[in-house]
Amino acid sequence: MAVLEVKNLTKKFGSFTAVDNISFDLKEGEILGLLGPNGAGKTTTIQMLLGITIPDDGEIKYFDKDFFQNRQDCLQIINYTSAFNTLQGRTTVWENLFVFANLYQIDNAKEKIKKLAEYFEIKDLLDSHYKNLSTGEKTRVNFIKALLNDPKIILMDEPTASLDPDIADKTLSLIEKFKQENKIAILYTSHNMDEIDRICDRVIFLSHGKIVAEDTPLNLTKKIETTTLRITFDKGKEIIEKYLKENKQEYKFSSDNIVKIKTKERLVPKIIFGISSEGIWMTDIEIQKPTLENVFLQISRSK
Amino acid sequence: MFFYKFPDLNNMSWKRIKAIMMHEFFITKRSLEVINDIILYPLLSIIIFGFLTVYLSGSTGLIIGQQVLIGMILWQVISMTQYSIAVGCLWDVWARNLTNIFISPISNLEFLLAYTITGSIKSLIVIILGGIISFYFFGVNLLDLGLINLIIYFINLAIFGFGFAIMVLGLIFRFGTRVQALSWGLIAILQPLMAVIYPVSILPKFLQIIAYLLPPTYIFEAARANVTDKGIQWSNIGIAFFLNCLFIFLAVAFFNFMFNQSKKTGQFARLEG
Repeated sequence: MAVLEVKNLTKKFGSFTAVDNISFDLKEGEILGLLGPNGAGKTTTIQMLLGITIPDDGEIKYFDKDFFQNRQDCLQIINYTSAFNTLQGRTTVWENLFVFANLYQIDNAKEKIKKLAEYFEIKDLLDSHYKNLSTGEKTRVNFIKALLNDPKIILMDEPTASLDPDIADKTLSLIEKFKQENKIAILYTSHNMDEIDRICDRVIFLSHGKIVAEDTPLNLTKKIETTTLRITFDKGKEIIEKYLKENKQEYKFSSDNIVKIKTKERLVPKIIFGISSEGIWMTDIEIQKPTLENVFLQISRSK
Repeated sequence: MFFYKFPDLNNMSWKRIKAIMMHEFFITKRSLEVINDIILYPLLSIIIFGFLTVYLSGSTGLIIGQQVLIGMILWQVISMTQYSIAVGCLWDVWARNLTNIFISPISNLEFLLAYTITGSIKSLIVIILGGIISFYFFGVNLLDLGLINLIIYFINLAIFGFGFAIMVLGLIFRFGTRVQALSWGLIAILQPLMAVIYPVSILPKFLQIIAYLLPPTYIFEAARANVTDKGIQWSNIGIAFFLNCLFIFLAVAFFNFMFNQSKKTGQFARLEG
């Protein structure tokens, strides 16, 4: 079931088209990655989905309800978190969360905040001023704010940006856990491909405001046929070079003992067997499969 | 688009209004500069004008001194309401928290209403404290105007302050924080035209025309008249109320238009950038 449907969404700023007639949907319990280089239209799309930027054309529906006709109803069931938005720094964490709990008309706000604070391990920080928290702590508080209204959909705009790897990993684990437990649908933007690969069920690539690719992370990487084969060998550089030339392979020697061969995945066993048959002693073989990052770079650079 | 729709009063929530009021209270109690702006500076100007009253009473008679001080105390209603709404909202722009508020289900009307209530409460506190100071230190009793009169003046001046603030807020939403100084500066430009501490008659003719377009002018004229005549100045109050209704209607329409434009141009989303 699609909890969010976007049809022909378009936004122009003067002569610049930030979002160009895009359509997609988000299913219940799904994490959908929204990827693209800077200026691709990711943030503008999210801003339109939140109602803080008005589109020039197109339709946004949450649970089959038109967003612009049912703004309050829709905003009651969605929420948003971003590394670039903060809460009010002058007030305490509890005060911030209590205000938002009331904005979302949460019953038993105090208990809800307490429960979420325990879950995200920030119970001791409730009386601290928000501005005094570390970036990791602020991220967790922002997550609590985004979960106060038991949203069915959360829009996350680079939520782990500026977090150190350890905290980013913990944050991703929390997202995965929360998704499993609550079946929340998440629209997720990030520049970190490993993150996207790890948590997204499906990915949309935006470039120049248009959707240029849409699939699961695995299927997207499968679209790149080239695999890099890295072979470390004892001796016989000339023999290997001769073999690769004869078999019309693209290669590059990193040193006298290491060669990198770009080839199709299905040809990898043949090449390894071929080099071995030439009497070469291979001390290490590494197959570098295409990653989402390769897909990202290919799409970004091809336009 | 939805911001042109007439506000749906059935969907209004007291809980959301209360949330913004609590938010405003939490910020105020933790910000010394806000306390300074809403308590210290207004009371200081009342004290300064109190001394001026003492001086004027010696040279021109008590009546003029009283009129000056009462005008200055009433001026705080406009100043405080305007400041509370416009600057109150800026605290969230500066904290990059305004987006979080506007992606919650709160409506424009609920948001503005909450700030109007908190602004009115702050004004009331300043008026009460100013009234006490003027009575005990300078012998001017604000209640001599008559309680009903005082309430009518307060409501009219607060409505104008509110309308003016949301117009300024509309400009900030539309043009960004580069025009934020209007929040505390623009109203001061209008003060000489509203004849706060002197009668409109001393203004040059062309300025009098502008002065009579501003609702507070009639209130200050009425209050001055009240110092000697305790009756209700219905003509002045009636005109002020009529102009205020017109002004508030235009101010809300202006705010909605500017907010809508801000969302169309993407300025609102960039406001915190």
